[in-house]
Amino acid sequence: MIKKTIYALCFSTISLMALDTGDIIPQNIKTQLNLDSNKTYVIDFFASWCKSCKKELPLISKVHIEQTVEVIGVNVDKKKEDGEAFVQKYNVPFRVIYDTNKEFIGVFDPIGFPALYYVRNGKIVKIIMGAVDNIDEHISKDIKEIK
Amino acid sequence: MMRLVLLFLLGVLLMGCSGKKVKPWEKENLAQDIMQYGGLHPEVKKFEAHVYFSKEASRGGSGVGGGGCGCN
Repeated sequence: MIKKTIYALCFSTISLMALDTGDIIPQNIKTQLNLDSNKTYVIDFFASWCKSCKKELPLISKVHIEQTVEVIGVNVDKKKEDGEAFVQKYNVPFRVIYDTNKEFIGVFDPIGFPALYYVRNGKIVKIIMGAVDNIDEHISKDIKEIK
Repeated sequence: MMRLVLLFLLGVLLMGCSGKKVKPWEKENLAQDIMQYGGLHPEVKKFEAHVYFSKEASRGGSGVGGGGCGCN
């Protein structure tokens, strides 16, 4: 009995695995993000307090405006108002989901911000973590390779 | 004896030593300017560090980089 309790305690601390390249996005998340099966998307996780996100956001917006790829933003601010103010300030042109309940971020579980997930046919094909210089050029190149 | 050891281990586990990590999206408060080394006026700390390394002929080893969001 004691042995079983100890094992249960040990295993309960192991968290669920984060989504990685090659993983399929769970159906409920796909439905909520309204992902089309035949399209390629870039899902951008960002927050108003993340300095690197501020740097990258205009370039990611540019990629979306130029229709290189459809971008879906997931804002992870605690307060929705903070996220909305941030989105308004930076004139974000793409669809943004406010993940105040940490529903999406908890499933994707990135190691930092900004986190970009390339999704094709509901499958993660590439992940970019952290700030990258000239991210728009990287995305354009990656999308050509993916398509 | 074995039972005592197991009870001790169980006690240690229940002592509240949590292994839960702070996730990147939970670092909102840590990313605030007030949380940086030197608070809202880091120039004061910078000046202090300047005096310190002038007198002690040593520098570095204080503060960390980054905004607390877990990014590069």
